[in-house]
Amino acid sequence: MATLYYIILVPMVYIAFAVFFLGTAIRLVKIFKAPKHPTTLQIFPEKQPKWLWALHDTFLLPTVRKHNPLLWVFLMVFHLCFLLLVIGHIELFKAFEIFQIIPHEVFLGKGLVGLFLSIALLFFLFRRFVSPNRELSVPEDYYLLILLFLIVLFGSQMDWARTWYEYGELGVEDYREYLMGLLYLKPDVPANVLFAGHSFMLVVHVFFANVFLMFFPFSKIMHSFLALPMNKLRRG
Amino acid sequence: MDQKSRDELLQLFQGKLNQAMKFYLETCSRCGVCTKACHVHESMPHVKYIAAYRAEIVRRIYKKYFKAQGKLWSSVGESKDLSEMAVEELYEAAYSCTGCRRCMVYCPFGIDTQMIMSIAKLLLIGTNAEPETLTMLADMSIEKGKSIDIFKEGFLTGVKNLEAEVVKKWKIEAGETVIPIDVEGADLLYVALAGAHSIIPAAAVFNAAGENWTLSFFEAVNFGAFVGDPTRTKLILDRIVNEAKRLKVKEVCICECGTAFRVMKQLSGKQPFAVSSVTEVHARYIREGRIKLDKARLEGAITYHDPCQIARNGGVMDDPRYILQHLTDDYREMAPDPRYNWCCGGGGGLVALGEETLDFRMKSAKVKADQVQATGANVLATACENCHTQLDNLNEHYNLGVEVKFLTSMVADALVRH
Repeated sequence: MATLYYIILVPMVYIAFAVFFLGTAIRLVKIFKAPKHPTTLQIFPEKQPKWLWALHDTFLLPTVRKHNPLLWVFLMVFHLCFLLLVIGHIELFKAFEIFQIIPHEVFLGKGLVGLFLSIALLFFLFRRFVSPNRELSVPEDYYLLILLFLIVLFGSQMDWARTWYEYGELGVEDYREYLMGLLYLKPDVPANVLFAGHSFMLVVHVFFANVFLMFFPFSKIMHSFLALPMNKLRRG
Repeated sequence: MDQKSRDELLQLFQGKLNQAMKFYLETCSRCGVCTKACHVHESMPHVKYIAAYRAEIVRRIYKKYFKAQGKLWSSVGESKDLSEMAVEELYEAAYSCTGCRRCMVYCPFGIDTQMIMSIAKLLLIGTNAEPETLTMLADMSIEKGKSIDIFKEGFLTGVKNLEAEVVKKWKIEAGETVIPIDVEGADLLYVALAGAHSIIPAAAVFNAAGENWTLSFFEAVNFGAFVGDPTRTKLILDRIVNEAKRLKVKEVCICECGTAFRVMKQLSGKQPFAVSSVTEVHARYIREGRIKLDKARLEGAITYHDPCQIARNGGVMDDPRYILQHLTDDYREMAPDPRYNWCCGGGGGLVALGEETLDFRMKSAKVKADQVQATGANVLATACENCHTQLDNLNEHYNLGVEVKFLTSMVADALVRH
């Protein structure tokens, strides 16, 4: 079992990050190297400055707010919480002191961030069961939501255990040690990470996260990079 | 479909994959926000008429042949073989889409469904499955560009016959030409449609404004754009560009034709002349005091239908309203935000296909008919030939009891001497 845990926690993480970074970079280069469209693709009336409106469209999703306010609330919660958790993870690396000015708990919101994220993901999943979203959806849409839900659930569970029912065996310091080892290419998995009562939760969390990272460059999640340039096209 | 024809089609597909197209094909998250955007879907709620679904029909082929995802794990994105069945689906998607781009206003990313449909249209041309009428019309336009001398005589006689009608609307000074043609050094080249209604009122207004203008030999409409053929579109466009350069005009003014205006304005590239729609030119004349209009000539409430290619996609929104302020005191706004104006249901070549598409056009534009009716206006003005024909058909089909009119002809009828 320890071997399997180790494979998931070390080699697979490296592979996942390699696929994620290389895949994303190669795909983006290929997309951006393609010739530009010869004409404008803008929608009128235009508003100046265009780049500011493009940022507004990308990060505040005004069209969704107007046409599907409920979905908009969940989308905003989802993306904000996702961002907080990404920072919350980067902050676990000792080397990134700039993120550590704000305490770790803030990014996790005493477990609420993970909870909100799980609820938002369930909402996205269940709305796909309803027509016409059901007919529009392809398996990718479900896989991604289920995958993210599992990642968030198992990840949050570790945090919930600590903040809600005083589980203390596996904590921030252990994660820091493990992640620093990975970062400096001297992987050293602390005994706590491998053998604590909650190791299983961590391993499952990392496993699904690895799968997600490897799927990322080939999925619709590439919208994280393309949403802004596309919105710029619409603004002209 | 055999391998060779499929490869040829994929070549065509590949040619369309520029940066913007790749953005559009990579990104849809199938969130479904565009569900309410399409007039076809609003009138006939069927999933196949949702913008995201139309796009997905093209996207599935893209995934299969141009994306690792489709090659390695085909089922995850439901990628699809390019087969005869797929071509049929492409036809249905492309020719039930009018290219109005209303869905672009709903999409959180701004995906351009019209552009994605241009792949479908090109693949249809590649399999000879496109509506033949459109290709035929496009080829006739191109032929005319090649052998102008054959058409010249007939055209000049035809125009001559219109002069009396123009003079009825606006009497000119002795010695002036009623409809000038082929005038080198004119300020403005007016590109009309093959039809008296597109020439007579415009000519009267130009003469009233004292414009130094000349009429183009060619008709503005671009059937190449309707059928989605970039080569033909360019050839048809170039006839006018070349004529404008030869005559050294400062401005090319496109008649009331949405496609022609957008193609000329956005596709002609950087040219020594400016491009404007006849609506913009008329608004300018009023603003500069070059023409004066009499509100008493028109009775009843007037509403205005924004042609998609001129308003949402071409940016001409304030000028028609400015003109209408000078034509009536009872103007009824149809779409408070012109970005959301419903398409008439006749774009993308559907009107040009005539009877063949009539049933679909009437059913799919029910929301438009309702929108017109809600204004309670008696006169329905518009500034696009396609829209005019379609709105006329809707008027008859749904008994709207309105009079569908061109904005230019309303301006010409209201002209008064200073």
